Amino acid sequence: MSKEVLIRTQDLSKTFGTTKAVKQVSFEVYKGEIHGLIGENGSGKSTITNMITGIHTVTSGEMFLEGQKYEPKNQLDANRHGVSIIVQEMNTIEDLTVAENIFFGNEELFIRNGVIDSKAMNKKAREYLDVFGFDKINPADDVVHYTFEERKMIELVKATYFNPKLLVVDETTTALSHDGREKLYELIRHVKNRGGSVIVISHDLQEVLELCDSITVLRDGEHIKSFPVTDEITEDDLKKHMVGRELSGKYYREDTHSNIEGEVVMSLKDVNVEGILSNINLELHKGEILGIGGLTESGMHELGKVMFGALENQTGTVSLPQKNVEIGSIKTAIASGVAYASKNRDQEGLMINASILDNVCLSSMDKLQRKGFISPKRERRFTNEYATKMNVKMENINQFVSALSGGNKQKVVLAKWLGRDSDILVLDSPTRGIDVMVKASIYELMQELTKQGKSIVMISEEILELIGMCDRLVVLKDGEITGELLREEGLSEEKIIHYMI
Amino acid sequence: MKNKVKSLVLLLGLLVATYLVFFILQPTRFGSAESLFILLQQCLLPSIAACGFYFVLTMGLFDFSIGANIILSALVACMLSVQFGFVGLVIGAILVGTLVGVANGFLYLKFKIPSIIATVGLMIIYECVASYLAGGNSYVLAEEYRILGQAPWNIIIAVIAFAIAMFIIKFTRTGIYIKAIGKNEPMAQNMGVNVSKYKVIGFILCGFFTGITALLTICYSSTVIPVQGMSSMSRNFTPIMGCFIGLAFKKYVNPVISIIIGEFIIAMIISGIMTNGLDSTLQNTIIGVILLVIVAAMGLKNKGKAEVVK
Repeated sequence: MSKEVLIRTQDLSKTFGTTKAVKQVSFEVYKGEIHGLIGENGSGKSTITNMITGIHTVTSGEMFLEGQKYEPKNQLDANRHGVSIIVQEMNTIEDLTVAENIFFGNEELFIRNGVIDSKAMNKKAREYLDVFGFDKINPADDVVHYTFEERKMIELVKATYFNPKLLVVDETTTALSHDGREKLYELIRHVKNRGGSVIVISHDLQEVLELCDSITVLRDGEHIKSFPVTDEITEDDLKKHMVGRELSGKYYREDTHSNIEGEVVMSLKDVNVEGILSNINLELHKGEILGIGGLTESGMHELGKVMFGALENQTGTVSLPQKNVEIGSIKTAIASGVAYASKNRDQEGLMINASILDNVCLSSMDKLQRKGFISPKRERRFTNEYATKMNVKMENINQFVSALSGGNKQKVVLAKWLGRDSDILVLDSPTRGIDVMVKASIYELMQELTKQGKSIVMISEEILELIGMCDRLVVLKDGEITGELLREEGLSEEKIIHYMI
Repeated sequence: MKNKVKSLVLLLGLLVATYLVFFILQPTRFGSAESLFILLQQCLLPSIAACGFYFVLTMGLFDFSIGANIILSALVACMLSVQFGFVGLVIGAILVGTLVGVANGFLYLKFKIPSIIATVGLMIIYECVASYLAGGNSYVLAEEYRILGQAPWNIIIAVIAFAIAMFIIKFTRTGIYIKAIGKNEPMAQNMGVNVSKYKVIGFILCGFFTGITALLTICYSSTVIPVQGMSSMSRNFTPIMGCFIGLAFKKYVNPVISIIIGEFIIAMIISGIMTNGLDSTLQNTIIGVILLVIVAAMGLKNKGKAEVVK
C-alpha cells in the first residue's frame, strides 16, 4: 500500500524571545498512522504540535496539509482544516455548559435567526457523548461540576466530533486513570480506523512503542530521526536517540571517585516533619555533590527546604558544625552561607517582573550597602560581574527576568547566590525545563564550584543526572532514607529505582 | 442540582432575613405591602444598570462612569423631549447611554490602561460635558412625560430590559464569548474569539442598559442637576453592589434574577436604616461596611480568589 502524506513540515522554526525552541524541523505524518513524537523536556515536542494546531504562530518555515500550504490562524482555524488537539492542561472553560464547550467557536451550527438553539445544541452534544459512552455527563451542566478526568473526556469529544484528519494528543495519558487511558486509546484507534492520523506525545516510551506506527525523535529543538516502529526497536534505542551520543562524553562528570573526605559542613539530626519526613540523619561534606533522589512525593523537595530553614513545623536540628550555627530560619541560613534554588523557579526563586539587576542584588543588599546607602553604580558592577560569570544570555541587566528562557532564569538564580559567595548550595531540580546546552553549562559550573570547596546538594527527579553528577546519592521514599549509594560503587538506574519504589 | 436549590434558598433567605430584621425593629414604619411596592420600583433603576454592568464585570473589567452616564443621558433626553416628545425622551436616553458605552469601549482599547482608570477619567469628562450642556441650570422633565416612571410603565420597561439581558446572556454568541473571556481570556483568544471586539461590545451593552436606567431616572425624579468633582460616583454604588451579588450566585442562579433580588435587598437595607432614624454619616458607614462584607464573602466563596478586576 502506498503511503500518502497527510501533513509535512518544512524547516519549521519557533523562537520565544532569545530562545530557539524549534530549529528547522522537517518531518511528515502519513495518512492513517499513529505517529509518536518523543524527546526530553524542552526538546520542542509541544511547541511543534502547538504550531500545527494553531496555538502558536510559526516563526519561520512552512507546513503542508494534504499538499496544500497550511497556515492556521488559531485553534479554531486549525479545527476548520480538520486538525485538533487534546492538551496536557485543562482546556475547558468554566461558566460554560458542557455543550457550549464542545461547540465553542462553532455556534453557528445552532444559530437560527441570531438566536442559539440550546436545545438542539444539547441534543447534538448528547449524541456525541453517547458515542463514547459518557452517559453520566449532562450537556446542559456547567463544566465546573465535573472532575478533571470527566472534563478531559469532554475535551476528547470537543476535539473529535467533527472527524478530524489529524488529532494531536499531547501528554494526556499521564494525567488519566486506567479507565480514562483506555477511553483515550479507543478514541485514537477510532480516528485511525476512519483514515485519520494521530500524533501522540508521551514520556511513557512503552506506551509509544505499543501504540505508534512510526516515531519522530526530537532533541533540543532539532529533528533527530524518524522511523517506522518494528519489533526490534526497544525502549533503550529510543532513549539513545533522545539523549544523543555526545552526552555520554563530557556532559556529566568523568571521574568515578566519591569525594566525601572533606569535613562535615552541614549536619541533619533526627529531622522530622509530620507526614512528610521522618528520622532524617544526613551529613554534607566540603566539596561534595550530594544527590537526593526519589519520587516527587517522597519528601525530597521538602528536605531541601528544611536545609534552608524554610519549613516551620520540623523537629530535630540542621546545623553547620564549622560555624557552630543552627539553622532555624531562612535568615540564619542566608547569613551563614546557605543558598537555595527552588524547584518552582518562577514562583519561589525569582521576582519575575523585575530586572536581572534587582534579582541578583536582592540577597546581597547587606554587602552592597555602605552606611545604609546603596550606590546604583555598585549594584550595576555587582550584577554585571555575576551575570557575566554565569554567562546569562540577555540584552542588558535591566531586562526583566520574565523575558528570559528557563535556562537563563536559572542562571540568574545561581548568579544571585554566587554573588553572596554562599558555601552550601541546595539546588532543587536545577535543570528542570532547561535545554541541553544550558544543562551542560550548569553541570560544568557545579564541578567548578566543588573544586573551589563549595558543597552542593542536588535534588532531582532525573535519575540520569544524579548518577552523572553526584559523589553520593541518598534515595528517599515516603519521607525516609531508603538507600545511600556512593559514586565509586557504580550507580545504576535499576539500583536507584529499587530504593525509590 | 443540590447546589442550585441551596443557592436559591440562600438568596431568598437573605431577602426574607433582611425584611424580618427591619420589620422587627420598626414594625409600624417598615415593611407594609405599599412601601415594599415602592421599594420594588426603586430597585428597578440600579437593577437595569447592573444588568449592563454585568457584561463588563464578567470580563474582569470595570466601569466607573455609570453614574455620569446616567446624568448625561438623562439630561440630553430631558432636553430632547422638549422638541421631540416621547420619542426624543426614550431614544435620546438610550442612544446617549449607548454612545457613552461605545466611547468607553474604544477608548479603553486605545489607551491600553486598566478600565478602572480609563472610566474614572471619562467619568470626569462626562460630568463636565453635562455641565456645559446644562449651562449651570437644572432641567425639569415636563409633567406629561413622567408617566413612564410610574406603574405599570416603569415595570414594563424594566421587564423588557431584563428580558433583553437574559436573552443576550443565554441565547447569543456574545453571551457565551463574554463568559469565556472572563474565565480564560488566552484560551478564548486561541479558540478564535476576537477578544477586543467583545470587550467593546461589553462596554456598549453596559452603556445601553445605563441609558434605560437614565430614562427611568429622569421620569422618577423629574429633575436632572449636573454635578462635578466625581459626585456622580454615588450613583455607581447600587448598580455595582447588585452586580457583585449577581456574579456571586451566577453558577447556580440566572444572574439577572440574582441581580434583581440583590438590588431589592440593598433597597430594603437602605430604607430600613433610614426609617430607623440613623444620621447620614452612620448610614453611609453601614453601607460601606455592607459593601466590604459582601465582596469579602464572595472572595471566601471562591476559595480566597476574589474575581480580579483589571
